[in-house]
Amino acid sequence: MSAGMSAAAGAAPGAAPGTATGTATGSGRVGDSPRRVGGHDRVTGLQRYVADLHLPDELHARLVTVPVARARIVTIDASAAERVPGFRFVMTAADLPQPMPRFGPQFRDRPVIAVGETKYHGDPVAAVAADTRDAAEEAAGLVRVDYEELPAAFTVAAALDPAAPLVQDPSLRPNDPLVGTNVLREHRVGWGDVEAAVADLVVEQRYTFPMVTHFAIEPHAYIVAPDGDGIAVWSSIQHPNWLQKVLAELLRLPLSKVRVHSPDPGGGFGGKQHTKYEPLVAFMALRAGRPVRLVLTLEETFQAVRRAAAEVRVRTGFQSDGTLAFQDIEANYLIGAYADIADRVVGKGSYPGCGPYRVPAARILARSVLSHTVPSTAFRGFGNPQVNWAVESNLDEGARALGIDRLELRLRNLARPGEAFIPFDTPCDGQWEQSVRRAAELIGWGRPLPAGHGLGIAVGIKSGPTTGLSYATVRLLVDGSVIVFAGTSDMGQGARTVFAQIAADELGAPLDAVTVVMGDTAIVPYDQQTSASRSTVLMGNAVLAACREIQGKLRAMAARLHGLDEATVMVDRGVVRLPERELTILEVLVPGLGRLGGELIGNGEMRKDAEPDHPLGGSAAFFEFNCTAVEAAVDEETGDVTLVHYATVSDVGKAINPLQVRMQDEGAAIQGLGHTLMEHYIFDESGRIRNLGAIDYRIPTSLDLPLEIVSEHVENEDGPGPYGSKGMSEGALLCVASAVGAAVRDATGVAIRDLPLTPERVWRALQERP
Amino acid sequence: MHPFSYERPATLARAVALLEAHGPEARVLAGGTDLIIRLRDGSLAPTVVVDLKRIAELEPGIREADGRLVIGATTVMTDIAADARIRRRFEALAEAAAVVGSVQIRNRATLGGNICNASPAADTAPALLVHGAVVVIAGPSGSRRIPIDGWFVRSGVTTLGRGELVTAIELPLPAAPMGSVHLRRTRRRGHDLASVTLCCGVDASGVTRLAYGSVGPRPVLAVDATGVLADRDAAPEARTGLLERMLAEATPSARSMRASPDYRLAMLRVLARRGVDIATARLAAAEGRR
Amino acid sequence: MSGRIPIQVTVNGRARAFEVAAHHTLLEVLRDDLQLTGTKECCLVGECGACTVRLDGRIVDSCLVLAVEADGGEVTTVEGLASDGRLSRLQGAFLDEGAVQCGFCIPGQIVAADDLLRRVARPTVGEIQEGLAGNLCRCACYGQITAAVAAAAAAEAGAR
Repeated sequence: MSAGMSAAAGAAPGAAPGTATGTATGSGRVGDSPRRVGGHDRVTGLQRYVADLHLPDELHARLVTVPVARARIVTIDASAAERVPGFRFVMTAADLPQPMPRFGPQFRDRPVIAVGETKYHGDPVAAVAADTRDAAEEAAGLVRVDYEELPAAFTVAAALDPAAPLVQDPSLRPNDPLVGTNVLREHRVGWGDVEAAVADLVVEQRYTFPMVTHFAIEPHAYIVAPDGDGIAVWSSIQHPNWLQKVLAELLRLPLSKVRVHSPDPGGGFGGKQHTKYEPLVAFMALRAGRPVRLVLTLEETFQAVRRAAAEVRVRTGFQSDGTLAFQDIEANYLIGAYADIADRVVGKGSYPGCGPYRVPAARILARSVLSHTVPSTAFRGFGNPQVNWAVESNLDEGARALGIDRLELRLRNLARPGEAFIPFDTPCDGQWEQSVRRAAELIGWGRPLPAGHGLGIAVGIKSGPTTGLSYATVRLLVDGSVIVFAGTSDMGQGARTVFAQIAADELGAPLDAVTVVMGDTAIVPYDQQTSASRSTVLMGNAVLAACREIQGKLRAMAARLHGLDEATVMVDRGVVRLPERELTILEVLVPGLGRLGGELIGNGEMRKDAEPDHPLGGSAAFFEFNCTAVEAAVDEETGDVTLVHYATVSDVGKAINPLQVRMQDEGAAIQGLGHTLMEHYIFDESGRIRNLGAIDYRIPTSLDLPLEIVSEHVENEDGPGPYGSKGMSEGALLCVASAVGAAVRDATGVAIRDLPLTPERVWRALQERP
Repeated sequence: MHPFSYERPATLARAVALLEAHGPEARVLAGGTDLIIRLRDGSLAPTVVVDLKRIAELEPGIREADGRLVIGATTVMTDIAADARIRRRFEALAEAAAVVGSVQIRNRATLGGNICNASPAADTAPALLVHGAVVVIAGPSGSRRIPIDGWFVRSGVTTLGRGELVTAIELPLPAAPMGSVHLRRTRRRGHDLASVTLCCGVDASGVTRLAYGSVGPRPVLAVDATGVLADRDAAPEARTGLLERMLAEATPSARSMRASPDYRLAMLRVLARRGVDIATARLAAAEGRR
Repeated sequence: MSGRIPIQVTVNGRARAFEVAAHHTLLEVLRDDLQLTGTKECCLVGECGACTVRLDGRIVDSCLVLAVEADGGEVTTVEGLASDGRLSRLQGAFLDEGAVQCGFCIPGQIVAADDLLRRVARPTVGEIQEGLAGNLCRCACYGQITAAVAAAAAAEAGAR
């Protein structure tokens, strides 16, 4: 049974913004904030992540790389490695099927292991397998690779230079007009006529967004074991079904013979969405006839996943009253040597680049630019933060030039509910003005500030999933307890708890009587993926539909038991309503199942089909909308930026678990402070990463928080998810940099257009102030 | 990391004998917060690691003797930062010890290790220089003492010879009150390696000592005996000129990832100015208490 | 000594005797030899705190401690904090305050928080942030973690 995507339900505007109380409360119904399901194991150390699992007889794998950005592989000599006690074998391109199998969610460009050439610093050349970790580490260090360093392109300018070395083998896209360049794709979106648009003021600036890495505290980990005539896989993957498909194709196995276990990841943020080293480990396991495990070091994760850097040129036309006349955006995203999902990031991220505003004419050109760097992949925000940084900063500049308050300018242009601010796409689906006014109120917009302080405000928008498919199965057992099968990956966002709350609420079960089973493709039905903040809406609706199917069976049961017409029986949020009285679910279920016992099973499906004519393949299921407002104090002598107050307000429809909503938004905000204030890869002149590891790549610690941070959410029950919910958890990251940059500008008078705003960079900008 | 042989000498004599016998093939292990990192990344591959923590004569701790505060070389930063005598008499050293990494690091990192590792950014070095610390060394030829001002040679190199190890760091107890402060620049407010470290000490006779690190191959001590810097009524130009001369030995590396040379030099000036102000204020407060 | 070195360590209250390689860290031995996988591996350079354990009454990054250095000592890991299957007040507070997202940093956070509360009965927000500054959380639950430690401290004080 499928539940259609309901139109956004209208709700009374002006509903009070929701704030979560600080503590877990309530019995586990929707809208409560019960203790996280799975929390007990996490605070006791019992939670098993992939690296905590061991199989009998397992071999340990270790990657071999060369210390340059790009190289031609001449020879690989493992003779010294072979003499290490416990060494089993080394795997190189020569040991894999010919031609080299390739994979990738958008292009099949990625080899299982580098063949002929390494294309970025950290591209594995070989992998050793040994009996112990020590032996694997020692053997990997003894594999001698003779290589010839090749010129590498690792900046936008270098990659776009006509004389640049090509990153991707041209034979991989022979009929592509861009094949002789490092531009993988160009994405063009537009409406109206930008050239003909008349504006009283035009602001044109160029902005840059740094290359940053996910730095999940759990490094990626993989175990593959031969399993009968198939394989069993353990991976920290966010998309187990997708991985299953990739492996089945590469290994020429039926899907039913590829079992993927995906234990809850220790943080994903998009960096664990797509296949990376599972194929390599799988080939090794099949060769060995034994399980093989590979756990990346933190340094290796920096060389496995990152966000696309970007250079964005924005030309904004304003009327004198602040209304927008046009937006002309050109964004070059620096993606890595293999496409992974990076091109989708570019297309989808740039598509709503004009922001949640009324823009009469727009032209957006976004390019995926290949480079000899770590493959960029999905990262919370999915290409939106990069353009947001540029576009919101440009709005600020326009407001200043026109003498219009920056909050006022945004309100004047903000799309209203139902307005098709991106023509032919999902219209504005929220009372966005509410979030903006609340954030402004929380920061005290317009109040006088001490010297050296400034205020900034920015909004961010991101399209939710454009297609999707989630199945759920729910089993109501004879004692009223419930098992939910849902293939979402709970990497900390709390999906498990949300689904448990929905089932508990719909089936009248106490929350601690609900078990949620995830992460095993042999047991849990299909889920397309966990991304784009989709799971509450897509899987949540599937779980809801499964519960409703069970409720239908309960209605039939009650009607039969009490001699009633089924049409007169209702099941509503855990209560069975007969014409004359109410019963608990158990009071129907137990007599209904009778002496043989049994259970009731419900299946649910939530599908969002592709729209082939749509540039993104489908319109947005919903929008994530956020407004962030910041008060910053700048020490002009040192460049230190202190965030004195920080307010973030997201439009979420319905908070199934308010405490989790707040945690996600605060977490997103602080994570965004990373690329805003301190994070960036540092390269040497030849494209080698200098700051691998935790000592010289700085992320926010407990001491780097804003002095005060407030997170609220707006609930108008106007989303397509269960009870009017929308997806959330990326919104609060989208405009962090824009709000902080605006506050710094307000405090110092200096606009800085390159992130991160480290003390040194702020200081330098102040020094160069005319 | 590569395997090695682990020695856990119970006496100083045995430790010295091991170090002399193995020379550069041996590395000393105290807190491990520098050594273990380098063993893991392979930049050090000793055949022998000599653990100092069970040596009877090397008990960690702080005691007073003959007008000096004697800090055992294996005393950890947590204890240095918390010691009431150090906080009262050598405030900058307590401040420096309190910012070496996190609680976890400070519970292991030792003062001896900090000065033997000899990073130009060593947090405790500027305070030790300002307070005129003396390094006490045991070795094959017996024990010797060397003022800290002659201790650091360049990054990672000290005057320690083969077979020698640091047993204690001594701080002469100042006869008159002193105001001192430790300041540093980092990339974030969370714990970090410093891109500039600085200690300023001002004593009752008007002598100002400025020690600074991470702006050259070794930490530097500069002294102003004129009294001008310590004099809050002195003309700003005179003070600025003096400061410039005292900071002249700063030669930050262009290769560093943490900060560029011109930023480091600018911050050195900012910290020096702030350091003089704070140290003189602390001196005044200390004198006021007398 | 080289090869396997016999050591004796009290781990989570239980006296254990076993042999370790000189170059194995306490973290590796806890996880791989004693199957105490609650303590996590992440940065391995003493920056992230995911490997935090209590050693001889103080918290340390176990990735920077050789296992042999713990000989004769006492180690407490996250597994040793809950007694008889009941969560400690601190563990309960982490759940109540929503301080747990992906959970990977949580064992280290809890061991560090437990240590702080033994040293400081009613820590201020600043003292909590400083006490846990050596524990990175990329999900960035810092605010909730601070609230959890404060709540546990208050509850402890109230109970006395």
